[in-house]
Amino acid sequence: MHALIINGSPRIKKYSNTDKILSKFTEGMKESGATWEQYEVSDRQQWDTMRDAFFRSEHILIALPLFFECIPGLLLEFLETLPVPEKLSTPNPEKLSDPMCEKHCNNDTKIEFSASAPTLSFLLQGGFSEGIQLRCCEAYLEILAERLGCRYGGTLVKGDNFGIRFDESQRERVTTPYQKMGSIYGRDGELTDEECRKFTGPEVFPAYIRMLVGVLFKTVVKKGFMKMAADWGCDRPLDDRPYES
Amino acid sequence: MILIVNTTTDTSITDEIREALASGNALFSTAGAKSAGKDASSAASGFEIVEAGTMRISYCVGCNECWLKTPGICALKDDYEEILKKLIHADQMWLITETALGFVDHKGKNIIDRMIPLATMNLQFKGKQMRHIPRYKQRTDVGIIYRGDADRSFLERWNQRVTLNLHSHSLGVFPVTEKKEAIACMH
Ligand SMILES: Cc1cc2nc3c(=O)[nH]c(=O)nc-3n(C[C@H](O)[C@H](O)[C@H](O)COP(=O)(O)O)c2cc1C
Repeated sequence: MHALIINGSPRIKKYSNTDKILSKFTEGMKESGATWEQYEVSDRQQWDTMRDAFFRSEHILIALPLFFECIPGLLLEFLETLPVPEKLSTPNPEKLSDPMCEKHCNNDTKIEFSASAPTLSFLLQGGFSEGIQLRCCEAYLEILAERLGCRYGGTLVKGDNFGIRFDESQRERVTTPYQKMGSIYGRDGELTDEECRKFTGPEVFPAYIRMLVGVLFKTVVKKGFMKMAADWGCDRPLDDRPYES
Repeated sequence: MILIVNTTTDTSITDEIREALASGNALFSTAGAKSAGKDASSAASGFEIVEAGTMRISYCVGCNECWLKTPGICALKDDYEEILKKLIHADQMWLITETALGFVDHKGKNIIDRMIPLATMNLQFKGKQMRHIPRYKQRTDVGIIYRGDADRSFLERWNQRVTLNLHSHSLGVFPVTEKKEAIACMH
């Protein structure tokens, strides 16, 4: 199995949590004998290559961070450049004068992939810990696969990844479990296995955990954030209100 | 204050809204603020329309500086700052947007993604879920008016989630053919 992997984070590769997750995930793919090519949405110079690869790949994995409950604006901008059936059938005067487009519009033909429709799977990761936080975007990703004329290969859903960038000691602990998921993807070419579903962890935390963690948020966690800010040269309180008169 | 952010280049929708709200405001002021209560006070404080379709607004690069380096201030120096400054006084924000792939298009999504300086990095539980503690006291309800084809029920769900993060409420999502219904909610 050979997969096209797109890192959908707008953060440059060096700072992207998705990239750190993918390096473990692809190690797992290697174990299953799979190969891949990886591109970054954050680098516009790769967009043409990514687009070409999109139409010759049987297996596509888009790995992305959750941004305000759905996909990041920049990834959306890239996806809008793919000539999908929906876009071609939208009555856009510019496009209508294009004979190619008229053909598509009139026949309602789907975009032609070199092989059969590819299987599009997703790795969706976010900052908040609970599974419930990612379900809205997950629902969209299934819609998206259909709009792009692809077969939906499922979504690996996982929160609690915010710290990857900041905490070297946490990085290994947080990213290592993705290796196993990568080996499943390398084996199946999709992410619909029961193991993938379980990988999300709890949808919400039980009340006693919420109480405990709530106390940590006000103390240890808050202090940790202040320390991070100080390391970044921040000289204002984290709850500063710069635009309030 | 009602903030209307139009990310399309079609100003006919905002023209219509301006006309409707201007006459609506006149009505409120003659009816008197007392009897009309809260609605009147927000209507009396007016509305602002931002034509963002031709403005220079980047996507959010996820640098985290608005949380950790210059709390509340975005590191990207573009036209979004003007919107951010208005947002902290807005009772409602209406996003007028094109659609793509069943969703709002990237220009519309960027307006939402760039709202992240309105939250602080600090965390709390709200109900059963983690949320960031808001930076300002102002709560801004959000409504969406969209042009073109979208998955409406998904958009409804998404806007509910967006406003959960803003500690506010969804005002609903409306295809442009139902803009009158949307305008009726602008008070
Ligand atoms: C603008 C913005 C919006 C975000 N929205 C959410 C969100 O709604 N829910 C969530 O759990 N995490 C959210 N996050 C956190 C990121 O998903 C998380 O930090 C992720 O690991 C970043 O991956 P990356 O470094 O590859 O971009 C948001 C981050 C940014 C910058």
